[in-house]
Amino acid sequence: MIDIVLALISSVLDTAPALVFAALGAVLSERAGVVNVGIEGMMRAGAFAAAASALVMPTPIAVLVGIAVGAAVGALQAFLAVTLRSDQVIAGMAINLVMLALGSFLLEAVFDSTNGTPAITQLPKWFSHSPLTWLACVLPFLVHAFLSFTPLGLRWRAVGEKPAAVAAVGIRVSRIRFLAVCASGAFAGLGGAALSTATLDRFEHHMPAGLGFMAVAALVFGRWTPLGAAAAATFFAFGDALRIGLASSWPEVLTVIPQGVLLALPYLLTLVVLSIGKTANQAPAALGTAFDPEVR
Amino acid sequence: MGKALRAMMPSIASVVLALVLSFFIIVSTRGLSDAFNAYLAMLWGSIGDWPKFLSDEGTAAALLRPLGESGTKAALLILTGLSVASAFRVGLFNIGAQGQLLVGAIVAAWLGSALSLPAPIHIAVCVLAASLAGALYALIPALLKVKRGVHEVISTIMLNWVAVRLIENWLLLGPLKATASGDNSISGTAQIHASAELPRLMGDGSRLNLGAVLAVIVAIVFWVFLARTVRGFEWKVVGLAPEAAKSSGLNTSRAIIESMLVAGACAGLAGAVLILGTELKYPATLSGTWGFDGISMALIGQGHPLGVIFSALTFGALTAGGTRMQLFGVHKSFPELIQGIALLLMAARVVWARIFSRRNA
Repeated sequence: MIDIVLALISSVLDTAPALVFAALGAVLSERAGVVNVGIEGMMRAGAFAAAASALVMPTPIAVLVGIAVGAAVGALQAFLAVTLRSDQVIAGMAINLVMLALGSFLLEAVFDSTNGTPAITQLPKWFSHSPLTWLACVLPFLVHAFLSFTPLGLRWRAVGEKPAAVAAVGIRVSRIRFLAVCASGAFAGLGGAALSTATLDRFEHHMPAGLGFMAVAALVFGRWTPLGAAAAATFFAFGDALRIGLASSWPEVLTVIPQGVLLALPYLLTLVVLSIGKTANQAPAALGTAFDPEVR
Repeated sequence: MGKALRAMMPSIASVVLALVLSFFIIVSTRGLSDAFNAYLAMLWGSIGDWPKFLSDEGTAAALLRPLGESGTKAALLILTGLSVASAFRVGLFNIGAQGQLLVGAIVAAWLGSALSLPAPIHIAVCVLAASLAGALYALIPALLKVKRGVHEVISTIMLNWVAVRLIENWLLLGPLKATASGDNSISGTAQIHASAELPRLMGDGSRLNLGAVLAVIVAIVFWVFLARTVRGFEWKVVGLAPEAAKSSGLNTSRAIIESMLVAGACAGLAGAVLILGTELKYPATLSGTWGFDGISMALIGQGHPLGVIFSALTFGALTAGGTRMQLFGVHKSFPELIQGIALLLMAARVVWARIFSRRNA
């Protein structure tokens, strides 16, 4: 019994970081009032960039490349959604579409493969898990501390709640929001890099296979807070590890509860939480609205 | 006409610029001649292989096959584009067209193989049931929006994944799994009966089917509805000025529910056309992101049914031609990249609007 529990925890420690980072990225963007449905595309960019550069440089530096590329994609979305004030959801979906196709294109153009990059050296293990696992244990608290206790964190949350008030005291709303979407991209890029350098040892053509959208679910489930979103992400990862564990060691259960139902559960739970509680009211007040300083 | 043309300029400019930018993306990795040949292959794969047709051994098939393929793909894009455009009318963003399409597709595949009815009735039953299923699936986010204030973007994203997981990881593996005949293993659902197949319009020459006619009819009916009926006008008011609509006594909740029902029905119909027209069963994983492509169609078509038809014809043709680019080492999803860049450029249309208005001022 103890063995099974330990195996489960170990599996969660390996798979959860990518989702935790992406969920934190979603929190950073949405708390500043910018809807980010482009997390999926940013993760894909980060995963590809990290794996491709790990072929020519040490893997830890390749992870930094993944983060940088994620931030660059974030900057593109910020340019559309914040600077040009175009629809935030459309900007995010466009990013997803471009990154999905660009990933497949580059895979074929650079590596002559439709499946994935060649294998890379994985990140080293610290205490039998990747360093990113331990980073994922600390980062939620750091993001929480940043948003709650620093002056910039206060402004960050304020532009998501009442941008006009922030502008009135002389702070540039668009600058903070731009930064927020870039930071969101960096975190999503880190999440993608975790997939291709820690969870696996290469970029595969379907990555991140919907994990970016699950990060958005974790964000909502965790009520737009860093600790809540990270906890929700871990919970989803735990559920998935449990499902895989059941499939191999106790398959009879899955004849009663089909795997598909278990796989759909994170999304169903998020819908239920949204519709029964007052969760919808806990979203940042100015979420999804462009801020035009000339409109009062 | 000049006014209509000016309204279309941002869309046309976005698509043209996306084509040019994508060209240079191939140039940067494969070189100029491969890029040129790949684009040429895409062109002949979409509007018909004219050089082959005009050569000595040319047959009509060299033209009909690519053109039919373009039309087949355009039909799906028209329907999902209308789905997104319908919700846009009342100010909602239907990201859920993909999920609604999958639900329609599985219902069409199920009824197509489970029932045995005479041909026209079987088709009608499958098509209507798939549309109804799509509409009911879209009713969930509509009700959540109206009753509980849940944002439709979040709820439709969740419902997309619920549909994928329940269909691919449950229904296809259990209740609707095809029974293997002989020693060939079968994935996905059972093949639909011949009586449920949509008739091909050009015989064996291409896969173009009745679905294309259905799509155009739906688009025209939708256009007349929006432009000529009171209810169509009400939708527009709800979308453009929700507060004014509410204070003048319009039932905004009803408009939201109606438009989402229409959106879901269009996407569900697209699912039926996909299964009954070309796939002929629900495969283990349904490739293609027709529902998500609908977002681009609606936006590039600027929410207008005729605009949706134009953009669907354009990208249907590009998608059909894209498969031929593989000969030059370009992934067949390349047209998706063109589409994505065009969508990015449409999202940046503030810039376009500025450029064009300056020229006309």
